This record gives sequence, C-alpha cells and structure tokens, in this order.
Amino acid sequence: MTIKYYWGINLTLLLCIALATGVLVGSLIVGDSMRGSLRDITLDRLGNIHHAVVAERFFDPNMVNVPGKHAAIILNGTVNVPSTQTRASKVNVIGVQDTFFHLWDNSTPNWKNVQNQVFPNIILNDSLKRELNVEVGDTIIVRIPNTGRIHPEFLLGKTDPDDVVDSLRVVISDIITSEQGGRFNLNPHQSLPLNVYLSLNVLQDKLGQQDKVNAVFTTTSNIETQELIQLNSEGLGLSIHQKNNHFDLHTDQYVISPYIANTASDIATDNNIPISPSLTYLANSITYIGSDNGIGDNEHRNIPYSTIIAVPFQQSEFAEIFKDNSTPEDEQVFAERQIKEKQLSDEKKIEVNKKYNDQYQKLMKELSEFNEKQKETSDYKIAYLKRDKLVAEIENQKDEITRYYNTDGIYLNKWAADDLKVTIGDKVSVSYYTITPQEEYITQTTSFLVKGIVPIEGLIADTDIIPQFPGIHETENISEWNPPFPLDYSLIRDKDEKYWDEYKTTAKAFISLQTGQRLWKNRFGQLTSIRFGHIPGVDIQETRKIFEDELLSRLKPEQLGFQIIPLRSDGLKSAKGSSDFAMLFSSMSGFIIIAAAFMIGLVFKLGVEQRSREVGILQSMGYTIKKIRRRLLSEGVFLAFFGSLTGCIFAIGYAKLLIYGLHTWWIPAIGTPFISLHIRSLSLVIGVMISIAIAIYAIFLAVRKIGKSSIIGQLNKVSVYSTNKSIVDSKKNNKSKNLLLYSFFFTGTLFTGVFLSDIVTGGWTNLINSYLSIGIVFILLFFVLRSSLKTHADFSIYFYITLVFVSFIGLTIGLFINFILLITDVNLHDFTLRDSPVYRFMFLTIGNLSLCFLLFRKWLKSEKISQNLSRLRFAFKNIARQSARSESCVMTISLACCVIVAVGANRQDTIPQTEFSFVAESSLPIHHDINTNEGRRKLGFSTEDSTILSESEILSFRVLPGEDISCLNLYKPEKPQILGAPISMLNNEPWTYLKQRNFSNQTIPAIGDNNSLKWILQHNPDEDFIVNDETGKQLSLRINTIENSLYQSQLIISETNFLKFFPSKSGYQFFLIKTPETYRSETAQILEKSLTDFGFDVTSASDKVAGFRSVQNTYISTFQSLGALGLLIGTFGMALIMIRNIIERKGELATLRAFGYSPKLVSGLLFIESSFLLVIGMSIGILSGFVGIISIHNGIPSIPWISLSITLLFVLIFGIISNILAVNIALRSPLIATLKSE
Amino acid sequence: MGKIKENNNKTHKLNISNLSKSYGSLEVLRDISFSYQSGSSVAITGPSGSGKSTLLHIIGTLEYPSSGKVQIDDTNPFNLSESDLARYRNTKIGFVFQDHHLLPQYSVLENILLPTLAFSKKSDATEFAEYLIHQVGLSERTTHRPGELSGGERQRVAIARALINKPSILLCDEPTGNLDNATTEEITKLLFELHTVQNTLLIVVTHNLHFASQFTHQLKLENGVCTIETNTNIKDHPSL
Repeated sequence: MTIKYYWGINLTLLLCIALATGVLVGSLIVGDSMRGSLRDITLDRLGNIHHAVVAERFFDPNMVNVPGKHAAIILNGTVNVPSTQTRASKVNVIGVQDTFFHLWDNSTPNWKNVQNQVFPNIILNDSLKRELNVEVGDTIIVRIPNTGRIHPEFLLGKTDPDDVVDSLRVVISDIITSEQGGRFNLNPHQSLPLNVYLSLNVLQDKLGQQDKVNAVFTTTSNIETQELIQLNSEGLGLSIHQKNNHFDLHTDQYVISPYIANTASDIATDNNIPISPSLTYLANSITYIGSDNGIGDNEHRNIPYSTIIAVPFQQSEFAEIFKDNSTPEDEQVFAERQIKEKQLSDEKKIEVNKKYNDQYQKLMKELSEFNEKQKETSDYKIAYLKRDKLVAEIENQKDEITRYYNTDGIYLNKWAADDLKVTIGDKVSVSYYTITPQEEYITQTTSFLVKGIVPIEGLIADTDIIPQFPGIHETENISEWNPPFPLDYSLIRDKDEKYWDEYKTTAKAFISLQTGQRLWKNRFGQLTSIRFGHIPGVDIQETRKIFEDELLSRLKPEQLGFQIIPLRSDGLKSAKGSSDFAMLFSSMSGFIIIAAAFMIGLVFKLGVEQRSREVGILQSMGYTIKKIRRRLLSEGVFLAFFGSLTGCIFAIGYAKLLIYGLHTWWIPAIGTPFISLHIRSLSLVIGVMISIAIAIYAIFLAVRKIGKSSIIGQLNKVSVYSTNKSIVDSKKNNKSKNLLLYSFFFTGTLFTGVFLSDIVTGGWTNLINSYLSIGIVFILLFFVLRSSLKTHADFSIYFYITLVFVSFIGLTIGLFINFILLITDVNLHDFTLRDSPVYRFMFLTIGNLSLCFLLFRKWLKSEKISQNLSRLRFAFKNIARQSARSESCVMTISLACCVIVAVGANRQDTIPQTEFSFVAESSLPIHHDINTNEGRRKLGFSTEDSTILSESEILSFRVLPGEDISCLNLYKPEKPQILGAPISMLNNEPWTYLKQRNFSNQTIPAIGDNNSLKWILQHNPDEDFIVNDETGKQLSLRINTIENSLYQSQLIISETNFLKFFPSKSGYQFFLIKTPETYRSETAQILEKSLTDFGFDVTSASDKVAGFRSVQNTYISTFQSLGALGLLIGTFGMALIMIRNIIERKGELATLRAFGYSPKLVSGLLFIESSFLLVIGMSIGILSGFVGIISIHNGIPSIPWISLSITLLFVLIFGIISNILAVNIALRSPLIATLKSE
Repeated sequence: MGKIKENNNKTHKLNISNLSKSYGSLEVLRDISFSYQSGSSVAITGPSGSGKSTLLHIIGTLEYPSSGKVQIDDTNPFNLSESDLARYRNTKIGFVFQDHHLLPQYSVLENILLPTLAFSKKSDATEFAEYLIHQVGLSERTTHRPGELSGGERQRVAIARALINKPSILLCDEPTGNLDNATTEEITKLLFELHTVQNTLLIVVTHNLHFASQFTHQLKLENGVCTIETNTNIKDHPSL
C-alpha cells in the first residue's frame, strides 16, 4: 500500500534501479555477445574439424593414422581477374576433396568439370567474390608458391619469380557461404578470410607433389597425439638406396636435416653400424695456382663445374683408398708444403698487423679518452664505429690470407689431376658459390694443397653418395644443364662433355669433411648423404631394416616440423577474446552504474524525507527506529528486486545500443560488424544480483541514517536525517575525513618529492623540460588560493608547510632514496617514478585531487563562519551548510572529469609521423633484394621503375606466419606472427637490443609492442614469452617493449635468430619502405604493379599506425561517451540533491519570498549554489586530469583539445540545464501553502 | 544612530474594501472592508479556519484576493508586476511568523540583514540591524545561530528582521503561539514598543484574547464575516 501511495518517488527509484541493472547487465550481455559471436565464427570456421596435422613440408597423408581424416593442401596465394584487372592478395588457396565440404553440411559445391573444359574449376567463398566482384563462370588466375623440394635459399633451390610462383587459370564454378565452409581458416580472426577451393588432385599436379599434402584435418575429438602420425621414409622424402654391402641415406631436400642426420648417426653408433657421412658440393672451378713458390705460372689450367665431395679423411672407406694411393714420400712433400704455407700465412698476417697497428692504436687511444658521460655522445659512437670498421677490415684481410694460404689437403681424381697437370704438394684453388639470405650468389675461393691423386674406380667412381642435382642430374650434356644458379656455358670444354658422358656427376675432388662443412654447411644441414655398412655378423638387408625401423621410431614428428593443432579447442579458447568486453563495458559504463547507485541512494532518501512525519508518528507510537528502518529497508529491497528485474528488459536495449554502437560509431574497435546478441542466463543472474546488492547497499546507507533527528522534528516534517549533528560527531567525522584526505595528500606530496629528486638526479634538462608545468600549477594554485583565502591564517600556514614539505622534505627523502640506491649499487632504475608513468599518474593525480578537496573543505569551513553577508555569500553559505552533500557532489564530478580528461587526452588525433613511408606485405615470399639493381632485375622491374625504386630504401623482414597480436584481432592469439628483422636495421635504437648475444641456447632477445603484449597477448613483459621453434623445442623470447609502434601485430627477433630457429622459412614477406616524398605515390604503384604475382600490398605507414590508434581512440571515445553519459546521469543526481535541498528549505525560501525576494532572485541564488558546485567539481577534475597527463607524458602532450572541450562543454551545459530544471521543479510549490504547512 | 532612531514620520494608510476570498466553492472571507493608518494596532481574532491567516496573507500580498480592493498608501499592490510586488513587499511589509522561519545557517545579525539583500543593500543596514538587535535585547547574541537561541529570543530576532526595512505595516501571524506566558508578555511588550518607535501599522493574528485586548482595534472573523471593535480604552499611537 505504502509503495503504491508514494508511487511517484517509488517509480523514480525503480527507474534508477532499473537503470543501474540495465547498464550492468547490458554490459555483461555485450561481453556474452562478443564471446558468443566469436564462438559462432569459430564453429563456422571449423565445421566439424577438431584437429589439424600440418607440416612445413609436403607429406604422405597416410602417415596420419586417424579415422575421419580429410587431406588438404593449404597455401597462401593471390588471385587476379584478367578481365577486370582486379586482384586479391592473402588468399587461402585450399586443395581439397569433395568430402571436405561435408564437414559443414551435406551439400557438395559444384566443381565438376564440364566435358572438354580446358581449365579446372574453382570455388570461391562469398567474401572473395565480393572483393573481386566476380560471378560463377568467370575465369581467374590463381598464383601459388612452388619452391620445390629444395629450400630456395640453398644453392640448388629455385628463386626466380617464374620458378617459385605457379599460375593456374581456373573457372569459377560455385560460390560458397560461411555455413558451407566459406569461413574456413587455420587462424582465428573475426574478419572473413578470402578463400579459393581447388580439387586436391589439380593442386598436387600443379605443385608436382603427387599424393602429398601439407595438412590433414580430423573430425575425431579424442585422439592420442603420440600415435597420430606414423612416419614412413618415403612420406618424409627420405630415400635409402641399397647396393652391394652398403646402403645410402638421402633426402629429396638435398641436404639432410641436422635432426635426421644426428638421429641416424646415433642409431649407427648404438647398433655398431659403420657410417661414412659426406657433403657433396658443386665447384665452379678447380684451378691450378702454383707449385711450391706459391705463385702460379702463366698457363691457365682450370676445370669448370665439378662435383667435390667432403668425406672423413680418417676412419672411413675413403680413408683407406686415400692411404692406398699415397706413398710416404708423397706425405713428406705435402707436409713440407703445409709448413711453408703456414709460414707464409703468418708472415702475411704480421704484415697486415703492422700495416694497421698505428691506425688501430690511435683509435683505441681516442676511445679511452671518452669519459662515462661522453660515451653517450655521437662522437663516441662515430669513433667506436671507426674502430669496428678497422677491425673488420683487418679480419677480412687475414681471412683472405688464411684462405689463400690454406693448408688443407685435396685429393684429385686422375682425370682432374691430369687435366690440371698437378702433382702432390701443388696448390689449387676451388671456387664455389655461396648464397646470401638475400639470394645473392657470392663466389668464394679457397686454396688447397694437392694431397693425393686417386684413380676413377671403385668408391671414387661411385655416384650413389651424390644426391641428385636438380636441373643437372637428368641431362645428357653439360650444355643442357639448367641449374638455379648462374652458369657460364662458354667455360665448358669438349673434354668436360666427354667426362660427363663417361662419368656423369662423379666427383673430381675430395676434401676433408671438416673442411667441407666449414666451407659449405648452411642452416639446412651439413651432410648430403650418409653411407651405412652392415652390423658385424648381420647381413646388409637386415641391417637396413633395423636402421630404418629404428629411424622411424626415433624421429619425433614435431621435430620434423609436424604440428598437431587442436583447432577446435584452441579456437574456442581464443573465442574468449583478447579483451573481456563484459569487463570493458562494465568499466566503461562504471560511471553510469556509480551515478545510478548514487541516484538510488538520493531518491530513496528523498522518498524517506517525504515520509518524515510518518517516521515520527511511528516512533511516537512506540516503534523502535530499528523496526522503522527494517520496514523501510524491506520496501527498498522489494523495489530493488522488482527494479532489477525490470532492468533486465532495459539491459537488452542497452546491450543492443552498445552493439549498434560497435557496428557503427565504434566500428574500428572490432573491425567488422559481426556481433549478434547472445544472452546467457548466468549473466542475467549475476547482473541482477549485483544490481540488487548495489541498490540495497545504497538504500541501506540511506536507511541507516534515519532517526538521527528528534521525533518532534520529524512530526513537524523536519528532515528525518539530522541536519544538526552533535559537534563531537561532526568533529570526529571531519577528523577522519581530513585524516584520509591528508594521508592521500601527503602520499602524493611524498611521491612528488621523490619524483622531483628523481628529476634532479636525472639531470636539470628533465626538470626544465618536463616538470616545469607541474611547478607552475603549484605556484599558480598557491597564489590564487592565498589571495582568496588570505584572511585565514591557518590556511596560509598550512600551505606554506605543504610547500616547504614538497620542496625540501620530499626532495630530501627522494635524494636519500637515490643515494641509498647509488651506494648499494642496486639498479632500481625501473622502480623510479620517472619510469613508472602509471604510478606517477596515480600519485600525482590523487595528490592533486586530495589537495583540491582539502582546500575545498577548508573553504567550506571558512564560508560557514563568514560574516560578510552578500548575495553571493548567501549562496556560498548554503553550499557550506550542506557541506557533506557539497563535498560528495564536488568529489563525484571532479573524479569523473579527471578520468574523462586523463583518458580523453590520450586520444591521438594527429596524423602519426613514422620513420617509414610505407609498410608492405606480400602473400608469397620474395627471395631477392629489392634494394639492389640485380634483385630488381630478377624480380622483373623495368629499368625505369628500377631507377625510381633506387631512391627508396626497403627493409625486408622474414615472416613466421602466425596470428595478428594487435588490437585489430579480437581473438586471444596463441601463436603470434614473428618477424626476422634485417641486420641493417639493428644499428639504431631500440633495435640494437636484438643484436646482443642470446641469453641462452633457447632464450633470445625480442621486441614487441607494449600494448599488444599486455592487452592482446595478456603477457607480462617482464617474463619470457614462449614459442616453439621449428623443431618443436620451446624458444623463450625475452622481450623489450616499445610503445605505440608500427609493429603492433608481430613480435620481432633478429634475422640471424630467425634463420637459426626457423631455418626452413624462406624469403621475405614484410617490408618497410623509406621513400622520398617526391616518389611516394609512384613507388607504391610500381611495387604493387610489378610484384602483383607475389600479392604485394603497400600501405602507408602512418595509416597503419593510425589504424592501430583508431582502435585505441575508439575505446577512448566509447569510454568518453559512456563516461559522459554517466556524468550526465550524475548531474541528474546533483539536480536531485538540489531538489532535496530545496524541499528541505522550502520554508526558508518561502520566508525569503515573504520578505520580498523575487522568484527570479531566489532561483538565481539556488542556481548559483548548484552551478558553483558543478564548476568547482569540473575545475578540480580537469586540473587533476591534466596534472596526471603531464606526469605520464613527461611534459605537455598533444591534447585533442576540440574533442575534449566538446565533451566537457557538453557536460557543463547539461549540468546547467538540469540545475535550471531542478530549481524550476522545486520552486513550483506554492508559496503560501509552504508557509501554511510549515 | 540618531538618524536610525527617528520615527517613520510619514503616515501610511491601509484601506480594504469589499474583500472576498474563496478557494473553489469554499468562501473564506466575505465582503470585508476596513481602513487603518500607521500608529494603529489591530488584532485579528476568530476560531480556527475563520480566515485570519488568509486575511493577513492578503494584506501582506502573499495571496491574491478573489475580489475587493486592497490599497496601501493609495497603491493597489495586486496591480503591480511580480518584481514590483516583491519590491513592494520588501519595503512596505514586515512579517513575523509563529514558526519564526529563521535561517539556521546564519547568525542573528545575518538573519536580520537578509531582507536587505533582496535589493541593493543600504549602506546603513548593518548599523540599523545592530540597533534593532539592541532594541530587542540581543546585543550579546549577535553572532549566535538560531539553534543557539531560546524560542523567545528567536521570535525577537524575527521581529527585528521584520523591521529592518522600516516597513509601513508589520504583520504578525500568532507571534506568541509557541511561547510560554512570561515570554509572551515580553514579546508583546517588545512588539508594542517597536511599533511605537517605528510608527508602523501593527496587525496581529492571535487566538489569545488577552493579548488581543491590548490592541486598539480588534477584527473578529467568523464564517468569513468581519466584525470590527475598537478598544476605546487604548488610544492609537500618540503621533497620530
């Protein structure tokens, strides 16, 4: 009944509770919707797929031992539409069988060829269809990487664009939707992928990988990962060739990987199998360069293009042959020649040392003259670089001497020795290609001393240990050779062709395995063949079987590059999202919730005020105050419960509004509008419970204070809340409040002191540049307040003490702390306030807020006792009269404004300046250096384009594919994309960190963006981040963070480490381009046009950073919008306070009217009261917010004044309007009725 | 101080003719007419609900009459605009309520000065307020707040506040209603003293017949009809 009687106020209360519930539950629903939608996408993406087995190389799908498997080839490619010249890069080219689509539904897309159709059919997903604007029946060209079995960065690997990119002309036969598997992608992302689907056979034929795949998907949820992959030699590309009494192990990748080689070697050792490992290389030439005088004669004696095998000179079958063909005299001659060469080498090196000694000493002296401080200067760095350059030059010259006066021996076969007319002890040079990571061929030459000459027979004539050279092995004549490296056919003589006819690839020379590996080993391995003998007492057939079985059982699939990915469970895990949107929106709506809770308390109090007479009557009838409180509380609980349930309806509306916001105004935050409404009953229950708790707590606080005034007072409709607290209570309360404020203030001050000392110890420049602004704020504050409050001596004293405290005591403490750190030699640099912006922000802002609150309290106190009556003072005095309400108003508004300013100032609206003009990514790896003429020529740039490009500097990065770790990815990434930064980049800060030595074998330096690391990967930057290297071993990345960088999507390591831990990755796929402004647009066009086959996409670097920033800015906008909304509701609360004040003072106001105060004047005075609180609150908040910003940014950052001013102005205007409304509503009650009722 | 002590020598006249006031169908005052000048003291008596306070409020321009005419010094205040009416009330009328309506946050002096803030404050306002405080015998309590005063003291402050703008008419709505006998006596004495010194027309609503008997004129209200009695034993202010 009572609730019904006071329906007006109760309805308001109910609405406030519904608002709080709606906002809270609505935020939770947004979180649910985000997670639910990401989950839906994951399920759409994967269909019924549970696990995937993927590998770096193509493998036999029969090795995957699981029911319900679907073999596939997945490649990154590009698609062109010849008719319209449109193109799409980063396209997933997927080769599958019909059954693959049954993983989604039972329909099979149409890709059957029509009779006599020349080009195969292809299926597109709808997003690619939209991107290319194509229809079924259109012809498109798909480009895919095909680097063959041998790694492109090995000498025999293919690198030419025509060789490494295959083109397929295909006809679109169907378009599929997400529900039909069109969203399939290995990596989770909310954006739709661009997919094309080809018949597996078509793709296998094109790639020359018959019956092989690089991915197998399973629908089985519970699989034993240990037994999932059953290896076989053929499936791994291993071949074991048995002949006579031995068998040879080869790989189709030419070089046997160290892991397989080591395992094979271990098996041999364990089973007592004799082995003979070898490394075969192709020399460009073997040249006679002299007899014992070290200088060649004029006759040019040279053999072009010869196979050289590096074999163990000791304890091998070869060793015996060499020994058999060598006399003691030969060995004597060779040994003497070795000594002579060594002497010559030493002499030459001494000469080099002498030559450069003076220069070196001078530079060292120069360096030693720099003191610690000067070491930071560029002069020191220049001197240091000069020294490094000189040392490198000296080392280079010595290296040349070592290579020229090399004392290693070489055995030549009889044909070669005769051709070169050499004998034991003669010197020959061997020239060969090495290949740089940028695919440049470098000719290296090393000298050898002829140690022996062997006949071409038996093992020497055996070509079984020589792996097949692609483009060479299968040819009839040398002139038909088509190797990937440059060949000078003019050097080939008739006798060479004859040799080829008779002996094919038979080696012409042999060097020691040790020397061979020193010269030719690379990141792919250091052996090309291993020959196995038989186990003593066991025949070779049986030995081979033992070896093969053991090899396959010992090899671990993960170390061979196989990965078993629990796609579904990983996907669902990632679908929880990198950011908890429920928390995000709950926090962002925090102000609204707080404001609503604030309103609940206020409205309830207002309602109780209305019923003060009822409370008095009940008390006079003998009700205890406890009983009355309980009665009111039970009404409140009922309303809270009912209001919260009502709020659920509002919640859905609020969630829909936020989702609409995310799909429109705040779209950069999620990239693509994909969220659909998902409501979890648990969220509703949690939200409602929290709301009820908040409402009940707010009501409880209101009820708790009931009965503090006298019964008579209440009967006379005086407030049920005591307005005349006992002095002791009030003082006690004030003391505790003051204590709290003082403690905050002094904490802030203390840290300011430490902070100042930090600046002092860090140099005066910091002090002047960065913190002058704070000093100015303090000084201004001092003068402004001193002049306005100079009558209050205690204030001045207090302020002087504070100032002294800040200036001296704080400084002393700070210096003391720094001194202690200095003498204890503890480098706590990270702990200093200068480097901890968050702490700095918190302490300085809280300190400043506390100072302002203290001053405001002080002012309220002074206004209370002020005798100097004027109209303005009249308003101020009324503010001071309800000091608690005034303080809470000011505190709420100032805190809200402070946060809005601090957050709003982080908006970065200016166009970001970046060191680079463009960022580019290619779908297919590029194996040539775009910076060089040669590289550009090979990549097919015209001379004209090449000239323009020569004006630009392009940094090429290697890429380990992985997930985007920037804020653009809403899924929580598990496997980040990793970039290998080129060495040329590592000389500048902050990249020098990547140059330093690895911390341990498996712990390496890395650089990552702080925000990506903290918020998206949710990783503590102080801890190592663990990834798996190519062999499945854990690799710890010790990350140095950078802020707001261009590199928010990836983690970056040095190229050296990249090649070490991910050796099979070839080419470059990420590029940073520096271009003069004049060539800007041309450069981008040339690159995209000429490298279209590689899917080369160029983006402006500043656009890229702006893209990341826009996400941040969107979050800030969202926060600002919701914060401002909360603040607006807060201003409503202030209006309610105003109404409550006016209702309480109705009699007082009526009296004023009776004495001739016009309604305008009374309204004006009331308006000044409330608006003054609004303005003071906002001013304190804005000031504190700016102090915070300055402390974070070490100075005044570029602040988006316009957006910030608009937000604050909006709040101010809204506050003023609500104040006007409150005054009008409150003054509507008739004057006489008030006087009469009073 | 001499200037302050000076009587308000100008004669003010209140003229009410055919005044009626109804709230809907309820007729509270019916065809009331009377006329008094400054120096007179008028007590309005009658049973509860007879319309005493309504009549007082209409005289004080807080309430509009339904019909009839109110003229103070030849001005009909109800013809004035809202702001002019406020100024008129501020300068011509002084109110003393039963519930004194002092503002708790202000001191005695400030409460008395409040009416002077409605329009530009006169330069001698504070001096006059201090004089009035002295007159009402609260010189020692100038800085005290209402919460620190007794009921009688609060009413004294209310009287001083009513007189701060030297009004023509001093209207009191049961000024002694909440007070004990002794205090009632004190307040009564004070009211008459100040009424004499300030030369105002004093109109008081009261239930207290003994108190009413001390006034020169008595308006008895019953069922909205007014009967006027003049106490011949008491003369109007000598200046008249």
